[in-house]
Amino acid sequence: MFVDFFYQIKEAGIPVSPTSFLTLHRALRQGLVSSLEDFYTASRSILVKSERYFDLFDQVFAHHFEGAEMPDQEGFALDEMARNLLDTWLQDPKLLAEAMGIDESELKNMTPEELIEYFKERLKDQTERHDGGSKWIGTGGTSPVGHSGRHPGGMRVGGMSRNRSAIKVAMERRYKDYSLDGPLTQAMVGEAIKRLRHLVPSGPKDRVNVESTIYQTMKNAGEIEIVFDRSLKDRLKVILAIDNGGWSMDPYVEVVQTLFDYAKAQFKDIKTFFFHNTIYDTLWKDASRYKEPKRVEEFAAFEPDTRLILLGDASMAPYELMARDGSIHIEERTSKPSIERLKFLSETFKHCVWLNPAPVSMWNYTPTISAIGRIFPMFELSIDGLEKAVAQLMVKN
Amino acid sequence: MTTTASDCNLFTGAKRYVLDEELARIVNISMALEMPLLLKGEPGTGKTMLAHAIAEVLQMPLIILNVKSSMKLVEALYQYDTLTRLNDSRFGDSKRDVSNIEDYIKMGKIGQAFTADARTVLLIDEIDKADSDFQDDMLDVLDQMEFDIIEIDKTIRARHRPVFIITSNAKKDLSDPFLGRCNFHHIAFPDPKMMRQILKVHFPELDNELTENAIAAFYKLRELEAVEKRPATRELINWIRALSADPDFKPSRLAKGDVPFMGILFKKSQDFTRAANAVSRKRLF
Repeated sequence: MFVDFFYQIKEAGIPVSPTSFLTLHRALRQGLVSSLEDFYTASRSILVKSERYFDLFDQVFAHHFEGAEMPDQEGFALDEMARNLLDTWLQDPKLLAEAMGIDESELKNMTPEELIEYFKERLKDQTERHDGGSKWIGTGGTSPVGHSGRHPGGMRVGGMSRNRSAIKVAMERRYKDYSLDGPLTQAMVGEAIKRLRHLVPSGPKDRVNVESTIYQTMKNAGEIEIVFDRSLKDRLKVILAIDNGGWSMDPYVEVVQTLFDYAKAQFKDIKTFFFHNTIYDTLWKDASRYKEPKRVEEFAAFEPDTRLILLGDASMAPYELMARDGSIHIEERTSKPSIERLKFLSETFKHCVWLNPAPVSMWNYTPTISAIGRIFPMFELSIDGLEKAVAQLMVKN
Repeated sequence: MTTTASDCNLFTGAKRYVLDEELARIVNISMALEMPLLLKGEPGTGKTMLAHAIAEVLQMPLIILNVKSSMKLVEALYQYDTLTRLNDSRFGDSKRDVSNIEDYIKMGKIGQAFTADARTVLLIDEIDKADSDFQDDMLDVLDQMEFDIIEIDKTIRARHRPVFIITSNAKKDLSDPFLGRCNFHHIAFPDPKMMRQILKVHFPELDNELTENAIAAFYKLRELEAVEKRPATRELINWIRALSADPDFKPSRLAKGDVPFMGILFKKSQDFTRAANAVSRKRLF
């Protein structure tokens, strides 16, 4: 029973073990599950062990038992795109109403979520018609917002009403905020800081731990055993280099700065520099990038165990990276191609990472991302990515 | 022991605890399956309170093991009081038998739950504070429902399988084998509607105007971006206590963006300054 469901969960990327599946069956056999709602809570609490997968689970559950749309790999990009477009268009509701083909007064009654859902549906219709597919014709037409147009107004988390169906609960996607993939948002800063706190240096094991020495010695029946601890080394120095040119980076610059601002106390020193797209002869200390330049050569003066963290989408025209005089700024004439500069930095600082807000799945489509990824270990700017980046920065030599 | 859901001791909520239906189902399933229930969630969402509520409703004794960062599992199981024994052997003025080591074994919290006469609720609070060794060692105990006292070569078996409630603030991820043995639930932060009920439980007499204004202000403050520790239920309750204790306070002032006692809500200095800034610049209200 429910084997398909189990495998769907697994394929969706939720780590589930066969043992827990058997436990679920034990619950079923004991008659603990008498309705779909029971099944939803039982299966989730038994199979899914972390809240970050709750959102995915909700989607799979809704799909399996209701035929809702499966989690869409491009879902996020679409979300963002829709949101951006709507933000712009909302300032001119009339134009939006015309473009979406609905009445302006009707538009006013929709919540932003509904609007975006509606917009996405329309967008899908559009692509399908272009591709000549038949799947969406028919399903799309009946109601303005289709199956995902449920009105979340009345049913929120923790409601006490008894008549919520499990499907509805699952389709609410109330755990969306907990899912850890996707770029970092301000809301996740607290959680992300915890990952940064792992950036603590440790020295060699050269301190005697008196208490556990006594304990171990007693345990050895008097045979002396000395236990050593790691001594704390001086705190880390960090250089943060941020690509703040271009609108593609705008949403992330502030998040990352806040993040490091909050974590500042644990670093000995943190310096922030700015660049646009990639690094040529200079980095700038000021965000406007013209007042306080610092030549890349001067970075050799920093201590080599300083941690270098670069943030950028690494997406540009290949010549910007590879050619001499590659900069798109006409006043910036350069002697060496940018890629040489990047190599210089990665050789100067052996602990360095490049954080990229673009989703990993897109990296292969941009040649400059792969090129830079060969120079710096590159991680996605997400909580998971940050965790891996911190691990990379703390690697011993 | 509870084996079927039709048993009379089903958990339905308690006097001081507002339970949502989903959580009640999960508690009941975990008790029936005899599996520990691991609760995660933001601090202040009532993880610890749940264990108190279960114990109260099912009228079982509650045993609380507060996990500390340096804790070893053996401390939670039993302690061999060598010092008292040494003392007794030198001065010999106690009724204990010095040659009988068992007299000097004291049960820890888990040991107490295992040897208790009735089924107990055992709350293992903030397990993520301890290192992973603690969790790994506990796996065996959870699996076997027994442990050995090495000093006297005796095995303590659980007379009644306790109802395990384990909480974690998710500072660290728990190990996979550990998670595999638990049922899991994440307590989401209550929405305003739920929060109103929670407040009603805590302050039955509370003035409606104050409740509405305080909740509105509280949720606005929670939405502040880039705050490390967002205020939770516990902070709200203390805050309301402070507000209602202040004779000069008028609830309508909250709506105008005058928020007193912010220190109760924001306890990290950076968060406090950020919140104070936002409030004074009236960006929020």
